[in-house]
Amino acid sequence: MKKAIGDNMISKEWGFGRGLELIKRAGYDGVELWLGDMPWFQMSTSDTDVRELGRSVESAGLVVSNVSTGLHWGSPLSARDPAVRARAARIVERQIETAALLGTDAVLVVAGLVTEEVPYNEVYQRCVEALKPLGDTAKRAGVRIGCENCNAEQRFLMSPREFWQFLNDVNHPAVGIHLDVGNIHDNGFAEQWIEMLGPRITRIHVKDVLRHRGRCGDQSVYTNLLLGDNNWPAIRAALTKVGYDGWLVAEMEARYRYAPDQQFFDTAQAMDRLITGRL
Amino acid sequence: MHVTRRQFLECTAAAVPLRWRLGGPPLPVTARRDKVILDLGVNCSLRESVSGYAAVLGAAALRTDMSSMQPPDVLIVPAVVEIPSRAIQAMIACLDSGGLVILESGAGFASAADFSRHRTLLREALEVHVEPLVDLWSQSGGSAIPYIDFTWPCKVKIRDFSRVVPLTGEAGEIIAQVNGLPAALRRRSDRGTLIVLGSPLGPVLWTGDHEARQWLRVVIEATPGWG
Repeated sequence: MKKAIGDNMISKEWGFGRGLELIKRAGYDGVELWLGDMPWFQMSTSDTDVRELGRSVESAGLVVSNVSTGLHWGSPLSARDPAVRARAARIVERQIETAALLGTDAVLVVAGLVTEEVPYNEVYQRCVEALKPLGDTAKRAGVRIGCENCNAEQRFLMSPREFWQFLNDVNHPAVGIHLDVGNIHDNGFAEQWIEMLGPRITRIHVKDVLRHRGRCGDQSVYTNLLLGDNNWPAIRAALTKVGYDGWLVAEMEARYRYAPDQQFFDTAQAMDRLITGRL
Repeated sequence: MHVTRRQFLECTAAAVPLRWRLGGPPLPVTARRDKVILDLGVNCSLRESVSGYAAVLGAAALRTDMSSMQPPDVLIVPAVVEIPSRAIQAMIACLDSGGLVILESGAGFASAADFSRHRTLLREALEVHVEPLVDLWSQSGGSAIPYIDFTWPCKVKIRDFSRVVPLTGEAGEIIAQVNGLPAALRRRSDRGTLIVLGSPLGPVLWTGDHEARQWLRVVIEATPGWG
C-alpha cells in the first residue's frame, strides 16, 4: 500500500510548492488534490495550469493519489434544482478531466446529501441516476468514481449493506466506494465495510474517531491516527483479507496548535505502522 | 416559447377538425381509451417527474408526439415551464372529448423570466392564474415539513418540492393546500376535467411514495368520463 495526504492540509501561507516539499520529507508517496478547496486548484484552473500542478507534484518526487472535492456539499448531485444538479455533474466531470491530466485514476465524490428538505428516497434515486452517465464518462477517461461514505454528515448510506445495494443499483464498473474508515463512528465497524465492499474500494481515507464524543457536542469527533477508537489491527486484517493494496490517504483535521508541520510526520509514521502491520 | 392569445385560439380551433379527421366523431365519454404521459423533452424541467408518472402508469403510456392519436382518457403533462402549442392542442382535445388533463407546473426552480412566461402562458392558454413562487422552506423556517394537503378525491399528505406555484381558483376548485397556499386545482372544462398541480407530484411518485401513488390512482378512477 502507498500513503498520501491531502493538499488541503497545506497551509495557504506555505503555498503548494513548500507544502509538497513537506509531504515528501514526511515520507509520503503521493498527494490528494482537492478541487475547489485550495487556491491553486479551482474549477476555473485551466488545463495548462493543472498540468503545471502535476509537474510540481512530480518534481517533488510525488504522484497524485486521487482528485477529491468538497464542492458537492454546496452543490450536491441530489439537489432538487436541476441547475444545481447540472453544476454538481460538471464538478465530477472536471474531477475526471483533471484526474486524467494529473495521471491518476480515481476521484472522490460526495454523492448525495439528505436534508430535512430533500428526503432520503429522492437523494438515493437522483444519485443512482446521476452516477450512471458519469460512470460512462469516467470509464472513457480510465478513471473510477469513488463515492465517499460520509455517513452521519450525509445522513445517507449509513451501513455497508446499504452502500453495497446502492452500488448494485448504479451497476457501473467505474463507480465504487472511496471508503473513509473514520466516518463510520458508532454506526458499525470499518473492517466490516472493507470485507463487504473490498473489490469496489477505489481509495481509503484514514483518520481516527473518538466515538464517545458522538455527533452532538461542540468538539470534533475526529482525532489523529491511533489515538481514537478505530480497531486498527482489525482494519489491517480486513485489508489483507480483501487484498487491498492501493492508496491510503490521510484526511486529518489540522489541529496542531504549534509546529503544524509535525502532524504530517506523525501521521506518516502512524500510517507506516498500519501498512506494515506493526500495531 | 411565448403563445399569444391569437396563436392559442388558432391552435385550439385546429384541434377539433384534426380530431374529426383522425377518428371521426368524438368517442363516447364512457369508452375506455388510453392514458398518456406527454413528455415535452426540453420543455419538461424535471426528467424525474416523467419517470415518476411512468412508474405508476407504465412506460407504455409515454408519448413525445400525439399528433397521430385520438385524444386519450387521461393526459398527464409533467413538469412544464414552457408549453408548446402542440401540447396545448393535445390538452384542449383531451378536455373536449371528456378526458382528464393533469398539468404539472415545473416552474419551481425557473428563472424569473421563465416563470413570468410560464405564468402568462397558463393564463392565456388555460385561464389558470398563478401567483409568484413561494419558497416553502424559508417561509416555514424549517419548523415543520410543509406537506401538500390534498382534500380531493381523497385526503392525503404528499411531500412538498421546496417551492410551490400558488394557484388562484374559484370556490370549490382548490383541491390541495400547503401552508395555507392553494397548491392544486380541479376545474371542469365543458366535458373534461383539468387538474393543475402547483407542486410537482412526479418526483414524489418516482421515489415510490405510497400516498402520492394512491392519490394518482384514485384521481384516475374518480374522475368521471372514462373507466
